[in-house]
Amino acid sequence: MKQEIVKNTQLGEQYYKIEHDSGLTILLYPMKGYSSSYALFGTKYGSIDNCFKRQGEAQFTKVPEGIAHFLEHKLFESEERDAFARYAETGASANAYTSFDKTCYLFSCTDNFKQSLDILLDFVTSPYFTEQTVQKEQGIIGQEIRMYDDDPNWQVYFNLLKCLYQRHPLRIDIAGTVESIAQITAQDLYHCYNTFYNLHNMVLAIAGNFKVEEVLESADRILKKAEDFHVVRASSEEPEEVLSHEMQVSLPVSQPLFQIGFKEMIPCSGQLAKEYVLHTIALECIAGESSELYRKLYDAGLINSSFGSEIMLGDDYRCTIFGGEGRDPGKVREQLAAEIRKYKEKGIPETLFEQQRKALYGRYVRGFGSVDNVAGTMLGSYFLGLGEFDLLEACATVSYDEVNQYLRTILHEEKMALSVVNPQQ
Amino acid sequence: MAYQLIEHTIAPGIGFHAVSDDRFKTARLSINFCIPLDAGRAAEYAVVAPLLRRKCEEYPDFTALNQKLCEMYGASLYTDVKKIGGWQVVSLAIRSIDNRFVFAEEDLTGACAQLLCSLATKPYFVNGCFEDSEVEIERQNLIDMIESKINDKRYYAIERCEELMYVNEPYGIDEYGTVETARSITPQIATQAYRDLMKHARIEVMFTGHGDCKKIEAVFDKALSSLEREPAGQEEIVRIAGAQKVLEHVERMDIVQSKLVMGFRTGTFADSPDLSAMRLMTAIFGGTAFSRLFVHVREEKSLCYYCAARFDRIKGVMLVDSGVEDKNREVAQQEILHQLEIMREGGFTDGEFEAAKLSLKNAFSTITDSPEGLESWYLIQVIAGTYTSPEAESRAISEVTKEQVASAAKKVTLDTVYFLTGKEDGEVLA
Repeated sequence: MKQEIVKNTQLGEQYYKIEHDSGLTILLYPMKGYSSSYALFGTKYGSIDNCFKRQGEAQFTKVPEGIAHFLEHKLFESEERDAFARYAETGASANAYTSFDKTCYLFSCTDNFKQSLDILLDFVTSPYFTEQTVQKEQGIIGQEIRMYDDDPNWQVYFNLLKCLYQRHPLRIDIAGTVESIAQITAQDLYHCYNTFYNLHNMVLAIAGNFKVEEVLESADRILKKAEDFHVVRASSEEPEEVLSHEMQVSLPVSQPLFQIGFKEMIPCSGQLAKEYVLHTIALECIAGESSELYRKLYDAGLINSSFGSEIMLGDDYRCTIFGGEGRDPGKVREQLAAEIRKYKEKGIPETLFEQQRKALYGRYVRGFGSVDNVAGTMLGSYFLGLGEFDLLEACATVSYDEVNQYLRTILHEEKMALSVVNPQQ
Repeated sequence: MAYQLIEHTIAPGIGFHAVSDDRFKTARLSINFCIPLDAGRAAEYAVVAPLLRRKCEEYPDFTALNQKLCEMYGASLYTDVKKIGGWQVVSLAIRSIDNRFVFAEEDLTGACAQLLCSLATKPYFVNGCFEDSEVEIERQNLIDMIESKINDKRYYAIERCEELMYVNEPYGIDEYGTVETARSITPQIATQAYRDLMKHARIEVMFTGHGDCKKIEAVFDKALSSLEREPAGQEEIVRIAGAQKVLEHVERMDIVQSKLVMGFRTGTFADSPDLSAMRLMTAIFGGTAFSRLFVHVREEKSLCYYCAARFDRIKGVMLVDSGVEDKNREVAQQEILHQLEIMREGGFTDGEFEAAKLSLKNAFSTITDSPEGLESWYLIQVIAGTYTSPEAESRAISEVTKEQVASAAKKVTLDTVYFLTGKEDGEVLA
């Protein structure tokens, strides 16, 4: 077992990064004075991993869409009692989620931490699937998919991804479709499980009120040494160009919801933390609450206070999304594009850059005050190859020149798309 | 209890409440105007919050104000309008990092308190009124906000069921008012609403964070102690203990998943001796991922993705909601009632009973781990005048017996069934 202590002087805090003998990476961030703890056990496996093989195998396996999410639901079951029934005896509040590139199982508790942790480590490493239980879940997940069909925010988001990406599985709904999940078999589930729920592909991240020794004792007792193999994911061979520049649909909403996306290149600088911080600062300077554009759009009634931006990224995708509500999304697109051109030509003013850098630092520090946020960002950062303090530290080192250089590499107009959900006539 | 509670009266009907806790890296401050719910004026009061957030005498420019917030290490301003008991609560809040993490010696929390007071007490007026252009924008945003409630179908269905149950009561008034009342807002009306809030609302100032709250208190004291005040009293909240007959209501919309909401009268209210028993009953029945509704309606019958129960102690109402296929409505409804019958007979297991207790205890203890959780808990306590801690609520739950849970379930009567569903074949909906 290898143990490293990662410190940050600004916060005066530290966490433990442990390479456990089983192959699992364990990240532990004890927080003094808190009554609760938050534990996440995650695998780097999500909805986009639907065509893969083990290194050395000749053929790629293609699995039905939505299987990672289906597997998440089914893992809670066992031959005897499901995980929720077991958590019922500890009082922990448990849940799980699946995203494009990860699946995470979590609990939060104030008492009986050790028992809850044992349950988490045990049920995630003990799959039990049968054809009957698979069938039963198709009804439940079918209703979950239906619920999202009626969710305009979800629809505007996926329609944007369908514009930006031509082949990449980001185009596919995380839960799949009623038809695709009908094809899932118990055997498919075991195949995906055995490929991706390998401890070398997983991480355990815990923050809050607990003792490091307790976690290690549970890990030693429950986790078995995993075979170390490499999984190859089939490349989506996604072209640089977007598929289309616009998609409009109608649903029962009161006024148009819109998202404007930019498909981004993935630089190979090896400095993801720095890129992320520069990218965030650039977006805030262009369209954040304190920007000229925000005020112009708000005063013209083209956006309301829900307007904002985000960066979505993974190993083989990256995009920028601006989203909001307003009567004329086309005009927002036009003015946003003009503002981006202006800043690319003239550069972001230095005062704006410094303001946004300071604001971002404050935002990161605030995040360290909540146990669920600390556990969540430790896990998310780890899967992207970052440490928990990397963004905070990058904030202090990025320079004014870098932000203008970086801005020229992102937000290209020819890779922009607009997705709108309009009210029905 | 790791944190400390400090209270002080600034002026008639103006309270200062501080939860001092050194764990947090953030400070959170809010000014909450509490005014009795009034159908004619709810929209007018609601529009005041975003108008105050836009600018003030000291920062007459929205962009300059936001840039100032960036300089304050990205402090964030929030506005909120909510309903607590029979009160409409209009809030203006600020959140920032704690003084320990700033680069130079500076009192950031003090600066946040100053800014919040400036925004609340010295709005930017032209000729004694909010500006025309500002009022026009925020009036339209308010109308959009009220209309956008149909976007979230689950939440919309719950609100519709509540409206049906609280018809003709102040509690049935939406905290944002109606589109019709919002349309008639003028700069004069908005300005009068602001003046009325300053004079007649209960004003509760909350501070959650680290450090010396005396200094913070002094800032609010200076800003608020000389206001001319005539705080309004509150009408008694209408209490209906049991349902007379079941009201059924079906609404159609172009959607694929139907929403079933069942409203029950419980006869138990915030000051009832069986409050904890009713809370525990709701948890066993439908409050967790091992509750009877989750296990039987979702897991065994595969009828839905969610089926949950929640209890409103102010109105003594329990709501059950589920997203189901149109054709499964009857089966789901029967199964929900069947599970309630089992609760009445005390047919739940010792395991379920103990598990729900642990789960509630866990939920109460987790509240104290975030400034938002603590603020929201104590604001409700202050307004309701109950003032218990999450710890005390948790202890009261642990003393409830199985018989008390069954007795609580026996008091529950079905009042309203609301069903939001797709359009029928060939039907065209407006």
